[in-house]
Amino acid sequence: MKNILITLLVFSMLPLWGQKVNTAEDSLAYDTTVASIKTTLGGYGDAYYQRNFNQKYSKVNFERFVLFVGHKFNKKISLFSELEVEDAKVTATEEGGEIALEQCYLKFQNSSKSYFVVGLFIPAIGILNENHLPGTYNGNQRPQVETNIIPSTWRELGIGYYGKLNRAPINYSFGLLNGLNSAQFEHGSVIRKGRMEGRNAGANNIAATAAMQFYKNNFRAQISAYYGGSVALERSVADTLKLHSGLLGTPVMLGEIDLQQEINGISLRLLASYISIPNAYAINQAFDNNTPKSAYGAYGEIAYNIFACMKKPSLKELIFFIRYEILDMNASIAVNGIIDNTLKQKHVISGLNYLPLKNVVIKADLHFSNTGARNPLLITNPTTKGYQPNNNIFNLGIGYGF
Amino acid sequence: MHRKQFLKTSCSFCVLASAGFFVSTLPSCATAILFKNKDNKIAVPVSFFAKNDLQIIRTREAEFDIALRKEKDGSYTALLLKCTHADNALTSTGNSFICTLHGSKFDIEGLVTKGPAVHTLQKYHTQVISDHVIITLQ
Repeated sequence: MKNILITLLVFSMLPLWGQKVNTAEDSLAYDTTVASIKTTLGGYGDAYYQRNFNQKYSKVNFERFVLFVGHKFNKKISLFSELEVEDAKVTATEEGGEIALEQCYLKFQNSSKSYFVVGLFIPAIGILNENHLPGTYNGNQRPQVETNIIPSTWRELGIGYYGKLNRAPINYSFGLLNGLNSAQFEHGSVIRKGRMEGRNAGANNIAATAAMQFYKNNFRAQISAYYGGSVALERSVADTLKLHSGLLGTPVMLGEIDLQQEINGISLRLLASYISIPNAYAINQAFDNNTPKSAYGAYGEIAYNIFACMKKPSLKELIFFIRYEILDMNASIAVNGIIDNTLKQKHVISGLNYLPLKNVVIKADLHFSNTGARNPLLITNPTTKGYQPNNNIFNLGIGYGF
Repeated sequence: MHRKQFLKTSCSFCVLASAGFFVSTLPSCATAILFKNKDNKIAVPVSFFAKNDLQIIRTREAEFDIALRKEKDGSYTALLLKCTHADNALTSTGNSFICTLHGSKFDIEGLVTKGPAVHTLQKYHTQVISDHVIITLQ
């Protein structure tokens, strides 16, 4: 009986021996001028300990575990996907946690300078939206501006075109995506909750994005813009709610500019973004979600790799950084909106990132935040502890990418 | 703020602020030049390197560009601009190559300076024949 089981096991594994899953290491063995079928694996993750000094509360969380799977069908067509588990666990009975596709698209290579993507993809808006591996940003938490103003990681279903100019170091991209859902906009996060992220997205409305990047040695500049409808309801329902429907009805507009410079171990990042929702009054009237008319955010960050000043070059990095962020998630409101000064925020984050290897990082940082006072009109539960405009948080975490 | 106002304030500021800088720096950047691939060989005139030691070579057939750099000793190095992490095309910045997919970065010699890539860029054999640098793609 034992022999039969072993024989069955061996035969069941035979087909697997014929398959080859290539890692990044194997990719060098291929001549890409010849069509080849191949699969690549990758991923990233991060976990942290957090101490909130005002709340006198500490927590630990495995925030993200992401696996990439890419497959090349031939020289022209390939698949790229990212599957994410947030907060380590998802159950039906507890809030929090998420299993989601972060990206999944087919890429159609047009030439060495241009390609199309079709599926769930991340448009080039901001610095972190496209490049969000833990080693690419300083601090345990992603910048507030790129979370609450630019709702990274912002992916939607659609088609994108990416290209490079021949005669100038400029990349550009255009995207046509499903629009947002203003019914889900939430007070305190501007448009973040209105993202559809590929799940039964209404397609009665659309959005267009465009971005351009300029590269010069260690300098990079990007400008990007988003314009899209936020009502995907059928016309009769939208009319009843007094909302403009149609492809670009009840629009949301977002503009962004960012600059990055690296020199002699010093790196500098600047980013500014602005959101305009001209029909906020109608959205508030229909959904009572206190949507602002405009919001903005900006941050500046300077970082220095302390090991860069060592005489002997080191593959390790010890990066000291300080980042200042300012954002206002209700910069202007509609007549029927309620101002909330807690959404006018300033953040200072400073800390160290230690990279013993390029793809492994240990992070420690202190986060000081300051907001305006809470509007009494927005206090729904008067028995809760008073709001504290100043807060201090300590974060200690790990991250990896491969 | 209305749509026109928004576009006017956000877009025109960005474009105007950056246009002058971009235009003034363009001539010194490495830009791509189209070449023909004949029998898996690309011939690049040596004269192309008179002003810039780095040229980006592009063919209509190939999936990826090639960075061709003149070394101090007069030899030439050809690097395939394919990220060794997930096979995405790299962008030349003039003194480095970056991958927009996950943020990997390589220096001018093809060495990884920022992950997640861990392996150096693939090199092609080059030789100089009659005032041309010949890149052999196999």
